[in-house]
Amino acid sequence: MRNAKNLLFSSFIYALTALMVFVLVFVIFFIVREALPLFREVPLSDFLLGQRWMPIGYVGNPAYGIGNFILGTLLVSAVAMLFSVIVGVGTALYLACVASDRQRSLLYPFIDLLAGIPSVVYGFIGLVIIVKFFLKLGHPSGVSVLAAAILLSVMILPFLVSSISDTLRKLYMAHLPSSNALGVEPWHATAHVILPLAGKSILLSSILAISRAMGETMAVMMVMGNANLFPTLLGKGETIASLIALEMGTAEVGSTHYHALFAAGLILMLLLLIINTAINAIQKKVLG
Amino acid sequence: MRFSAKFVKSWAYISMAVTVLVIVFLFAYVFFMGSGAISLAFITEMPRGAVLGSEGGIWPAIAGSLWFTGTALILGGIPALATAVCLVFYCKDKRIYNFIRSVIQSIAGIPSIALGLFSYSLLVRTMGIGRCVLAGGIALAIMIFPFIEVRIEKALNEIPRALILSSYALGISHSYTVTKLVLRAIRGELVSGLILGACFAMGATAPIIFTGGVAYAAPPDSVMQPAMALPLHLYLLLAQGTTMPQVYGTAFVLMIIVLVSNTVATVYARREKHTWK
Repeated sequence: MRNAKNLLFSSFIYALTALMVFVLVFVIFFIVREALPLFREVPLSDFLLGQRWMPIGYVGNPAYGIGNFILGTLLVSAVAMLFSVIVGVGTALYLACVASDRQRSLLYPFIDLLAGIPSVVYGFIGLVIIVKFFLKLGHPSGVSVLAAAILLSVMILPFLVSSISDTLRKLYMAHLPSSNALGVEPWHATAHVILPLAGKSILLSSILAISRAMGETMAVMMVMGNANLFPTLLGKGETIASLIALEMGTAEVGSTHYHALFAAGLILMLLLLIINTAINAIQKKVLG
Repeated sequence: MRFSAKFVKSWAYISMAVTVLVIVFLFAYVFFMGSGAISLAFITEMPRGAVLGSEGGIWPAIAGSLWFTGTALILGGIPALATAVCLVFYCKDKRIYNFIRSVIQSIAGIPSIALGLFSYSLLVRTMGIGRCVLAGGIALAIMIFPFIEVRIEKALNEIPRALILSSYALGISHSYTVTKLVLRAIRGELVSGLILGACFAMGATAPIIFTGGVAYAAPPDSVMQPAMALPLHLYLLLAQGTTMPQVYGTAFVLMIIVLVSNTVATVYARREKHTWK
């Protein structure tokens, strides 16, 4: 009886795990399968580097080039990361070097609230605050890559803060006693020993934050303007994720347009996968 | 104090202040602007008006969001628990462990819109089940699966091996150890992980935009019907651009849910936390 129960439980655990792993592998396989037919019609280089995106050939031939969308995705994420790192490293410094245990136990969940806010709410606040502000400053439409980057920087802040403050805290605890023993002022030690030591891992965390930002859809879509232009900070731009969200509803199933959207999704997935795998490998090597 | 030390110190204080101010501002702004729209009728009535949603309430969106979230939690949360238990207690082969880990990591890296794309093509179109709570819920479940699994696995790994080995040494079975000892010990993290996962699913728009979320529907009776959802409703109202009070009201409801569920999750996890000596 007991053995039967034990067997039942373990087979339940194994079965569910196997099922889930199967589903996950299938999701990846499915996206790849739906993306591949595109490359029979459009060469990979045209797809990745092309600047014309005309899925329906109203005038002239249809063209499927997502070069601008890739650049838009990278630019908005990188700028967001820059903003976020400035505030994120400072906040992490405070949490690691200033805050008492009690303060830390309150501040961590408080900062995590940022991760819980739905992205449409971010997009909405971005529209009524950031875009309005840009309009007041004389920007013609308010929507721009910069506005989206500012918004994104708030969205990725909690991930940056938590990973950087972990590193800083460990280093601070490890080096504070010796620096105190030498009579070095703690902030001096922080500036000259702890921050330089943390440099590499801050860099890695920042790149991971870029990959977080790249998959974001709704909020960015709402404030970035969504135009197929070569992205500039104050101009409009469009990301791969927005492209899919905006056009999937109108793409006929099985058409080249449909496969192109899947291929765009695949490229985004691959970009994220490459970044994440590379960072994980480097992290293991550099940080042990 | 040298300049560099002063600089770093002020950087830390100023950044912390900026972070706190941003968070307080986000919530205070939505609460302040949205409180005017909130009434019992807004919560309990159907959306009405010449431009849909400009009058009436958001009840079907609240109900729909609960349906989506519930479906996602059942389909994503239970496998997440099983997988975490399997990886920590049952999986002996390092290669299988690494394979499953890397699959989970890849899924965590997939943008949520691509999951919506998957569910739309496979379930809605190819299998023809149409836009419904189930199709959206499956996309959401795949999205929150890694999120929950990672948290549970972390909690499981923090349980001292000695505790589990002692249990085995007493001749207690695997299943009894896991259900009676291990799951009790991590229930704080388990429940908070599930709550935060649910919160994550509830706020997501991209996975349901093609798969089950619609602009107007009665609260669903089963998972085979399409439904409204709060974040999608907010997005669509905003796109119409005519009904700002209702937009603020919907954002207000979403932010309240975020605040309450995060607080409950944190407090519960703290209260139930075992400190292993």
